[in-house]
Amino acid sequence: MPDSQAADKKAYKSEVPVQLIVFRLGEEEYGIRIEQVKEVTLTPEIARMPKTPRFVKGIANLRGDIIAIIDLEERFRLRPSNNDPVTGVTYTMALEAKDYTIGIIVREVPQPLSIPASSIEKAPEFIQDLNVHDKYIEGIARLENRIIIVLDMLKLLTPEEIMQLKPKATSSAAAERR
Amino acid sequence: MKSREQEYREMFMAEALEGYDAMSQHMSVLEKRPQDEAALGELFRLLHNLKASARAMGHNEIGEVAHRMETIFGQIRAKERPFAGSAVPVLFTGIDVLGSMIRAVGANEPLAENQALLENLDRVVAGEEPVLADDSEVGSEEDATRKLELSDLVYIPIKKLDHLLNLVGELIIDRDRVLTLARELGDTTLQSVTAHLSRLADDLQYSVMDARLVGVGTLFNKFPRVVRDVATAEQKQVELTISGQDIQIDRNILQIITDSLLHLVRNAIGHGIETPAERVKAGKPEVGQLSLSAQTDRDNVLIRISDDGRGIDVERVRRKAVERGVLSRDAASRLSEAEVYSLLFDAGFSTAEQVTEISGRGVGLDVVKLAIDSLGGQVRVESKLGEGTTFFLVLPTSIAVKGALLFELEGHPYALPLMHTDSVVSLSPEKMHIVGGTLLAKVLDENIPVVRLTELLADDDAALPPASRANLTGLQDIIITNYNGRKLGLIVDRFLRQQDIVIKPVSQPLDMIELFGGVTLLGSGQVCLVLDVPALTRLFLARRP
Repeated sequence: MPDSQAADKKAYKSEVPVQLIVFRLGEEEYGIRIEQVKEVTLTPEIARMPKTPRFVKGIANLRGDIIAIIDLEERFRLRPSNNDPVTGVTYTMALEAKDYTIGIIVREVPQPLSIPASSIEKAPEFIQDLNVHDKYIEGIARLENRIIIVLDMLKLLTPEEIMQLKPKATSSAAAERR
Repeated sequence: MKSREQEYREMFMAEALEGYDAMSQHMSVLEKRPQDEAALGELFRLLHNLKASARAMGHNEIGEVAHRMETIFGQIRAKERPFAGSAVPVLFTGIDVLGSMIRAVGANEPLAENQALLENLDRVVAGEEPVLADDSEVGSEEDATRKLELSDLVYIPIKKLDHLLNLVGELIIDRDRVLTLARELGDTTLQSVTAHLSRLADDLQYSVMDARLVGVGTLFNKFPRVVRDVATAEQKQVELTISGQDIQIDRNILQIITDSLLHLVRNAIGHGIETPAERVKAGKPEVGQLSLSAQTDRDNVLIRISDDGRGIDVERVRRKAVERGVLSRDAASRLSEAEVYSLLFDAGFSTAEQVTEISGRGVGLDVVKLAIDSLGGQVRVESKLGEGTTFFLVLPTSIAVKGALLFELEGHPYALPLMHTDSVVSLSPEKMHIVGGTLLAKVLDENIPVVRLTELLADDDAALPPASRANLTGLQDIIITNYNGRKLGLIVDRFLRQQDIVIKPVSQPLDMIELFGGVTLLGSGQVCLVLDVPALTRLFLARRP
């Protein structure tokens, strides 16, 4: 696990920069390693797919590929006022998961950011308060007055995580919500 | 359009010429190494194949020569004689004669028996000395002037055709998009170019689909052997009749139904057709009749597997359903015959061994059903106790493009495959009534349960609320679907149109939701979900109030 090694700054104090794509969810800033981001586009028209968890916004046509679009604010309940739906122009980051591409919807244009690997610390215990379960978090990057939560997308984007169900379940995905 | 006969001849020619080339090559290997076992084995096999296919095509002259040569190579292979001496020139002449006969078939010329050669071959077979004519040199002169020929047919791995078909699918989707854009922009030049592009794409699509078509016979012709083996094992006498081998169908569809057909044929012999003694007792001829037939039915192919055996005992299936707790006694007694038959295809029911023993049917019928469903096809059964059973498989000709009915629900377009659509009606709420919480519509003297598709697709998995007419105002657009004999009316917001669509599979991870058979892109660029009628029907049965 090279990632966890990089995150462990006591053991490896190297100054190799890490390229992140940084985006905002709720009030916090999150980052994903740039290799996992395929592209960022204006959100295409989304067709809602019945019988999927609410945070799965639906499917969209991205250059001929039909991909699922998910809303992480809804997934982690980070929306400031809970019933405020995403309106206006939004952006979609196409991420490369293990066997498929998936879109993450964000409100502002995600920005690239280069930080030294040593600035990513392992997530401390208090992370429980952050709504985002710590198993999805690779580490916390501290930069002057910014805190960026670096997500481990591969863990977040497994089919089980997205559908919130055990593999091989039937169409009763929605029943297992929350 | 080429005639079927023409096409068969081309196939025979391609195979025979290829075989001839290979045989010539193996002969020259043997000349250098007379004991080369690989070459001997290949020659034996190629001659055997050539004999069989030539006889099947009615070219007995080729068959006679090939048969004798096969015998000789059989002897050489069994080390009964060496590849040496005077037999060698006779064998070489034999190969040459086969070559010229094959070419004569290709040129559509009559074939002549080469009496001298046949006699010589017979002598070699019998271990006698062949009579070698002095003019055996003539053959080699002919060899020197012979033209080299390449076959007019190519073999192509089905994978390459699959890839081609996928590309065409993408092209069709883009074409629709371009057509829509051109119309929106209103530029006449662009419109005429796109119209041409559209025709080309259509042509390409049909050419690729056509290239994938094979005769149903390629599968059917394997059955005489299967029937013989199964009948022998079951100690039954069965006569198989095959018809419609020429009906064309996509090769992959044929591949997918292979196991199902095997199942149905085995079932028909194992459980349908009675033993000779039982048949005589029932006043039937000793030999049971089994028929496999194919015919085109509009855009589909209808395959029929029919036997004159004992038939399905509807009452026993009913009793079994009650015993197994699938249905209440009351519900079971109210089922129509067709509904009873459809029980046989239900998983869990059909795999039950007891049913197999009693009704004589049911082994793996759910598997058959699944295979046919995966193709968007239909399967149904008709039976008469004591007279026999017929299974009907309705299959699409091609997998790529399916006719679909497009409709709108909450502002989004959806598609339903026409294969599972019975009819569409617009009814006012007064024409429907509520029985036991379920909305029923009378369509063509049949009471069909009707449900609002929005409610059925709601995220909730609890039972549907009891139907009420209060939330239905004005004419309701209803699509009557039909799956496994079960009809279900779906109230949608608005019918859009009927259209041929290219269905793409739903990408992971959403492919876990079985309600959708796939997605398609409309000309507008909109994503359109394709509903799966079998899954919808199951969902309705599970959530029925």
